[in-house]
Amino acid sequence: MTLLLYQYIGILIGIIGIIYTFLRFREGKMSLGMLFIWGIIWIILIGLSLDPMATGYFADLTGIGRGLDVVLILGLIGCYYLIFRIYNMIENIEQEITHMAREMALQRENKDLESKEDKEN
Amino acid sequence: MFSGNLKKQNSHKLFIESDLKIWIILPAYNEEKIVGKVLKELFNLGLNLIVIDDGSHDRTYEIAYDLIKSHPGKGFLYRHPINRGLGATLKTGMEAALFKNADIMVTFDADGQHDPEDILPVCKPIMEGRADVVIGARDFNEMPSQKKRANQIMNLITWIFYGAHVKDSQSGLRAFNRKAAVALDIVSREYGISSEIIREIRHKELRMEEVPIKTIYTDYSLSKGTNTIVGLKILVKMIREILK
Repeated sequence: MTLLLYQYIGILIGIIGIIYTFLRFREGKMSLGMLFIWGIIWIILIGLSLDPMATGYFADLTGIGRGLDVVLILGLIGCYYLIFRIYNMIENIEQEITHMAREMALQRENKDLESKEDKEN
Repeated sequence: MFSGNLKKQNSHKLFIESDLKIWIILPAYNEEKIVGKVLKELFNLGLNLIVIDDGSHDRTYEIAYDLIKSHPGKGFLYRHPINRGLGATLKTGMEAALFKNADIMVTFDADGQHDPEDILPVCKPIMEGRADVVIGARDFNEMPSQKKRANQIMNLITWIFYGAHVKDSQSGLRAFNRKAAVALDIVSREYGISSEIIREIRHKELRMEEVPIKTIYTDYSLSKGTNTIVGLKILVKMIREILK
């Protein structure tokens, strides 16, 4: 079967994605959960690249007109979800920074900032 | 209730006679122009001070340091290395005060908006065992109209979200006893803390009273604090909290 260019690109990106994801997992930089999720995403990408018409099945299933629309809509929902998660993560980090700032403040009671000597710290 | 003259006469006497350890908590951020004056006034009244510099870029810390050094044992200074907001600053201050075994803690603005003569009236309900938290309520009629409206909106929001009818929800002059300070569980970092305190008062069933205090609006302090934009920010934050 002859493939269109974008299909080749899709398969290539999918393969690179799987390899990179695996490597990061082995280095300990990615959790098992994320390996699983991204692994599935890359496999779906490869699958859809090989057979774009498969999206037609999902289009009929969901009642959304075109297969491409299904992909786009799901992609968008996925983005909103990820953004929401990232926002919450940032908020948690801010609270942790505040906790640290407060502890530092209490530990340095009456510290002389202009002192040339800095024995304790 | 004290009348004007009576307030001044009894101020020092009652402070000295009381066994209770009263600590004034002063959150400060970039207030080098006025923090010195405020601290001097408070030290002159013989009060114990806890000053927290919330990551100021100016000489707020240095000025406070010199003054505190010249009143050993009466003042303690802390500094957040990074600016974290009013909520975090007050929390640090309360924790420091609790370490000092404070019986009553009074939050007091470092920008000259508050009158030191209002400290005793605000402590009185606690000293007399009638309240755990006292909020100094400003007279809305003396406020510039923009501030007045912003504060009225904040009172309304406090009522909607936390079900509490408070005369001045955003006032920075408040007194807490140990029980209240320990019970408060504040998460808000910035200005939302005012409304959170109201919420905590209801949740933890603390006794609250409001005492009228003087409003001092100088050109300097008018540019800070509650205005419409800050109010909107707090509203957005509250909505986010509820949706979490």
